[in-house]
Amino acid sequence: MRIELVAYTPDVEVMVAVSMLTTTSGAQPCTLHERLRANPGRAEEVVGRLEVQHGNVLEHNRLVWLVEATRDEVLNVMLDTRFLSFTGLGGDRWIMSGNLRAVAEYAEQRDTEFIRRLVDSIRDVAPNIHAFIRRRTG
Amino acid sequence: MKAKLLAHTPLAPLKEASGVLDAKSLLPHLGYTFAVERISRACSHQLVRHRGASFSQQSQRYITVKRLQERVVTPPSVEKAGDDEFKKLVKEASESYQRLVDRSVPKEDARFVLPNAVETSLLVTMDGRSLLHFFGLRLCNRAQWEIRALADGMLEEARKAEPKVFNAAGPYCYQLGHCPEGRFTCGRMREAVDRYRVNQG
Repeated sequence: MRIELVAYTPDVEVMVAVSMLTTTSGAQPCTLHERLRANPGRAEEVVGRLEVQHGNVLEHNRLVWLVEATRDEVLNVMLDTRFLSFTGLGGDRWIMSGNLRAVAEYAEQRDTEFIRRLVDSIRDVAPNIHAFIRRRTG
Repeated sequence: MKAKLLAHTPLAPLKEASGVLDAKSLLPHLGYTFAVERISRACSHQLVRHRGASFSQQSQRYITVKRLQERVVTPPSVEKAGDDEFKKLVKEASESYQRLVDRSVPKEDARFVLPNAVETSLLVTMDGRSLLHFFGLRLCNRAQWEIRALADGMLEEARKAEPKVFNAAGPYCYQLGHCPEGRFTCGRMREAVDRYRVNQG
């Protein structure tokens, strides 16, 4: 199976930090977003405190991958998780999408070559979430 | 009330990568995250009925409600009625809430006396197809005024970000070319369609 991240919510870790602070801070979400975009270090610090009890803080994003896989391989992924969506492009090519929570929870559920590649694909766009998933899955 | 699109998955790189699919087929793969500020809890209760969406809402367990009288949404019909019933109840609720907090009742319990009118803010994320469905239902003339105003603000933002996708969005009568409300139809489809029509060329 080949997998390539082709589109994603920009500043995805800033969105995770905004989400975390929205629930517990009296500041408005737009204000939090402006502050955190202007101060990526602060966003990184907030994301570093992530514990994921309410996993919804990882849901305010959408990542899209181009996948090359057989129908059986795709079926296996779909049976494992209902939080990754597929659209066929013909042959063995697929568009797959989901959010960071889907990636994190799938990685905790199983350890396969596909999941390792899936997790590795987010390293550049969400380095702290990538490290977080790696810590939890060993 | 304020609705602002904070982030979205861009359509262009996805169209390029997929090659064969049109924008409509790609909608389930696109995510849109809005900041929604200062709506009533009555409105947020309606919003969270859209189950495909994700929400992060200000928590009344952690955030103390201060100056409740300045933190409520007053419906226009109540303003128009002009009597003090609403203000009186909000004032009483405010005082009761504060008394409970002062007596060390946890915020998560003191909030039980707060009215539906109390303001809240949240993040909401929907995929493109769910967002079109949300617009179809909540921009309808039959939708409640506050969530319709919210949907209007969100549509304006979505059209600015992805006009090719969302110029076709609006109430279902605009999207479908007919009213699906059956015997509940408002009978003002032409007016609704005209309101949302834009040049889609």
